[in-house]
Amino acid sequence: MKLDSPEIKRIIKERSLYMCLECGKCSASCPRLLTGKEYSPRLLAHKLIAEPGDLAYIQNAVWECLTCGLCEERCPSGVQFSQAILDLRAELSKALGLTGFRAHDGAVHSWMRIMTSPRLEQNRLDWLTPELKVATDGPVAFFTGCVPYFDVFFSNIGVDTLSLSSDAIRLLNFLDIEPVVLGNERCCGHDLLWTGDRDNFAALCRLNYQEFKDHGVEEVITNCPECYQALGTYMPQVIEGFDLKVTLLIDLLEREVNKGGLSFRPLEQKVTYQDPCRLGRGAGRYEEPRNLLKRVPGLELVEMANNRHSAICCGNSSFINCDAFSKRIQAARLDQARDTGAETLVTACPKCMIHTSCALRDPAPGPQAPLKVRGLVSILAEQIEWAQDETPRRKSGAGGGSRGDKI
Amino acid sequence: MARVNILGIACNWSPWCCYNAAGQAGLELPSNFKIMRVMCIGRINQALILRAFEHGADGVILLECEDSDCRYGPGPELGHSNVARVRRLLHYLGIGQKRLKEMTFQADQKQELVDALWEFAGRIEKMGPNPGKPGRERKAS
Ligand code: SF4
Ligand code: SF4
Repeated sequence: MKLDSPEIKRIIKERSLYMCLECGKCSASCPRLLTGKEYSPRLLAHKLIAEPGDLAYIQNAVWECLTCGLCEERCPSGVQFSQAILDLRAELSKALGLTGFRAHDGAVHSWMRIMTSPRLEQNRLDWLTPELKVATDGPVAFFTGCVPYFDVFFSNIGVDTLSLSSDAIRLLNFLDIEPVVLGNERCCGHDLLWTGDRDNFAALCRLNYQEFKDHGVEEVITNCPECYQALGTYMPQVIEGFDLKVTLLIDLLEREVNKGGLSFRPLEQKVTYQDPCRLGRGAGRYEEPRNLLKRVPGLELVEMANNRHSAICCGNSSFINCDAFSKRIQAARLDQARDTGAETLVTACPKCMIHTSCALRDPAPGPQAPLKVRGLVSILAEQIEWAQDETPRRKSGAGGGSRGDKI
Repeated sequence: MARVNILGIACNWSPWCCYNAAGQAGLELPSNFKIMRVMCIGRINQALILRAFEHGADGVILLECEDSDCRYGPGPELGHSNVARVRRLLHYLGIGQKRLKEMTFQADQKQELVDALWEFAGRIEKMGPNPGKPGRERKAS
């Protein structure tokens, strides 16, 4: 089989692969390659254009990428590499099946696909405690994503991704918002989309959209960068007449903080911040999370050597290709975090939390400074100070979207 | 009655002995029952069970050795912890914990094994298809 179908050619053209100068900057930035994996984005671009008969190389390489977007950041020619990977995975899986190596035997993707069944009636709200004020119907919803599932599945590594949702709701409640939390919300589909399973991604989109509509939802607030991308950028491409507003919680918080409606109690702590790929390079939110952290008096934010545009991925994406090279990426990232002298690694994404928490448990060659992993919203929710005389009202927010991200 | 699919995941040692002996003795098994052999119940992870439901199983029965009979040592401990977690996931998903059953057997309990399978098949038939069942057959992935 030769990969020169019109569909593949269209991807090469649309994602600007023809613009490649073969300068090699992408490969010199790629964390997979830099940790020793036999994989090169430059060579993949070359093979696709010049040697489409090398199916073995191409098929392997397409599933190797973390889709972290670091290469795109450096490419002088505007090659949309991770978008090309997104399209190629969909195309190759149509022809050859879903062949990427899935971590955890594909259990995570399995529950995501189970959620495409319309008959499912989930019991996913057990974690809601009475102090969290939520509604069943209304214009503003909070999208929790898969965090209840993650905490059960990964309970052996003691990760608490649910804290991201409960603390987000706590913050919304402070702002007088009682969000709708849907009992039958499905996975946003991010991981299925990025592993080439477009049919099931679309099925999840349709079910979620219907669920929002059935409960009168007009705006969806989310705290997970991947949900934000899936709902804000890709769901509108699947749903005709999509008219929901998708808001990132940190955008909303930043507006409120800037209005002076929120203040924080001091926290004497040195922290560093891990930019999630979908939030930083994906959605361009580099300063918003940092600005929020800087609002906490006493909190000292120190940057890792690679930060913002050049931040390094937490080592894994969409639960594929977790291997020795992912571990090396993670170990190097944790070293960078420790080198700052910070005691806490703050992140804004449940997946970063899972992967860094997992890596922190790995045996290390020598004594290591202790490092905690915490969600940005959890720090904010814990330090917030509610001034009784002020009742800040929120205004509307911006929707999702980033460059070149049509599917 | 709706046609349902039952999957058994059996440890290679005592339960598989029972299954073999039942076959040799010509004992009848439910026709909608399929069996998969693993070396130890410690091999069962959350994925095996989730993927069974994803691909259309309506009930999954784990056929295990008694803990003290384990040929490997820590197998049951690991297996039980995985099963406990996946039960919680099945509850969240709305598939329900009743569709997953664990039973232990000694090597000479062929009749008990056959009875357990018939009883489980009857229970699942009453419950009907698993609500997470795919609309059409999923390709193996
Ligand atoms: S997106 Fe990230 S992992 Fe993929 S080729 Fe580019 S730098 Fe490497
Ligand atoms: S950085 Fe861009 S132009 Fe340079 S080799 Fe990579 S894809 Fe080609």
